[in-house]
Amino acid sequence: MGTTVRDTVWAFPVIETFHLLALAVLLGTVLIINLGVVRTGTRNSGMARELEPWMLTSIAVLILSGIPMFMSEPQKCYESYSFPIKMILLLLAILWHFTLQRKWTAPEASRLAPLRGRLAACLSILLWGAIGAAGKGIPYI
Amino acid sequence: MSILGVCEWLQSLPWASGIKESTWQFPVIESIHSLALSVILWPAAILDLRLLGLAMRRRPVSAIAAQFLPWVWTGFVTMVLSGVILFAAEAVKCYNSPFFRVKVVLLGVAGFNALIFHYTIFRDVDTWDRNPATPWRAKLAGGCSLAVWIGVVAMGRALAYA
Repeated sequence: MGTTVRDTVWAFPVIETFHLLALAVLLGTVLIINLGVVRTGTRNSGMARELEPWMLTSIAVLILSGIPMFMSEPQKCYESYSFPIKMILLLLAILWHFTLQRKWTAPEASRLAPLRGRLAACLSILLWGAIGAAGKGIPYI
Repeated sequence: MSILGVCEWLQSLPWASGIKESTWQFPVIESIHSLALSVILWPAAILDLRLLGLAMRRRPVSAIAAQFLPWVWTGFVTMVLSGVILFAAEAVKCYNSPFFRVKVVLLGVAGFNALIFHYTIFRDVDTWDRNPATPWRAKLAGGCSLAVWIGVVAMGRALAYA
């Protein structure tokens, strides 16, 4: 699979297009939900519930499209600083999202501790944004 | 002066060639350009999907537009500013690339589509605001917008590798 992607001229940009579109869905959803928490101090659970499936689908598309891109240039990824940072941040972001982030920004919890909810939302935006930025960095550093 | 001449002049400006030669300036601006997609593309796509009846069917169309159009404008300004800077740094490459030309045409189509939508079917949104199934012209505008934006992203990626 790795050599096929490398040897086909258009394969990498096409896969990257899907990767980028899914990134827009993921980051957009993260921003819509978490900026709402930052602004109001609590999660709009209706909007969050409607966007959650899109977020999970986009993470799946990102991972599935990321694997062939990685396989086409594993050595470049191995030698780059950005790639391991991105993978560590990704692991942290997924763990964070499904544990404390959800708990702390939930309507009841954030009513009791609005500052904690707001900080949790900021951390989410920073984490997912940094993953996107680190991805852009792979070809360069 | 020809368009190519303008591109050559733009690319030779000290700030433009400085961005191209610097190791980090181009990737940083490119990151901003890519990350801003999440601010313009997804909120716009949510509205498109609602118009197609594929997402948020229970929310009024006007409420989705009111919530997300400010995002789209913020994203648009960021995209255009970062895009113009990236273009200046590689103006001749862009001029010669068929992908860039298609991208510009698609952006024009996206703008034209949005304009038609806002001045025709969206004017009497009150009459179909809460309907899960929207009028065919709204569906057409949503589908067209979605397809064109996916094309814009694809052309942008193709441009980077060609």
